[in-house]
Amino acid sequence: MAAAKKTMTLNLTDAEMGALEELCVKKDLSKTAVLRQALRLYQTVETRVGRGAKLFFEDDQTKEKAEVMML
Amino acid sequence: MSVEISSAFLLDVAAGQAVAAELWDAVTEQQLVHWEDEWMPVQREFVERMKAAGVERALLPQSRHWDWRRKAEAFSGSLANPSFCVMCQGMTQGMMIVNTLHKARVASQAGKELIYIEYLENAPWNRRHFASDQPRFAGVGSLLMRAAIEFSREEGFKGRLGLHSLPQSNGWYSNACGMTDLGTDADYQNLHYFEMTPEQADTFIAKGN
Repeated sequence: MAAAKKTMTLNLTDAEMGALEELCVKKDLSKTAVLRQALRLYQTVETRVGRGAKLFFEDDQTKEKAEVMML
Repeated sequence: MSVEISSAFLLDVAAGQAVAAELWDAVTEQQLVHWEDEWMPVQREFVERMKAAGVERALLPQSRHWDWRRKAEAFSGSLANPSFCVMCQGMTQGMMIVNTLHKARVASQAGKELIYIEYLENAPWNRRHFASDQPRFAGVGSLLMRAAIEFSREEGFKGRLGLHSLPQSNGWYSNACGMTDLGTDADYQNLHYFEMTPEQADTFIAKGN
């Protein structure tokens, strides 16, 4: 089952397109799939931060935490 | 909310016949009402009977504390958490909530995207340990697993799935689904973590589960 989808045109700079293509290769995903994952992640982070949560990256070895500032 | 509905089949165990069912790509208010009004009374009565019979706690249904209304509210509107359900004869027979933001751990797929199954539950009358004689419908869990595989493929994740299993379901995910058991996860209540690779997904679908 595939939900109905809408099409849009996306204008990207060379650098942005390069980054997108790099992610596609790394993830073995299509451009659409990468952008959909990015949107899901962005929405999830915004929702959690909106509820008062903080977003951290933790160094696996030192356990040092760095907070990601969300604008 | 628009809901996509696909045709499916379940096995009516008593009649030994296939019956028409539907796979919905959402858990809606209708399913939550079924959970509250139909699933919960059956479950409560069964658990009380087991307790009265002196059955030890570990053998009680381990998903008995799951609150689908709270889960549905918690994930409402989240693009990363689609939900699915199986309907048959006007009643919700199973529900599932998934997550698109997890990564594979099994060595051959490490770091690749997968569909993580947050929750999957069958209606109490379809579970072997609930039904007094036999389950009403068979195939609900398999139908939801197929839906998860199909969704994983649509997203470009090639059928990869992951989940933490309640102990009572370890055997089903390992044997019936053919998933890889990566052992207990200390970061997740020591539940066993299972993954399905693209090859295992192909095998599961080919078996016609």
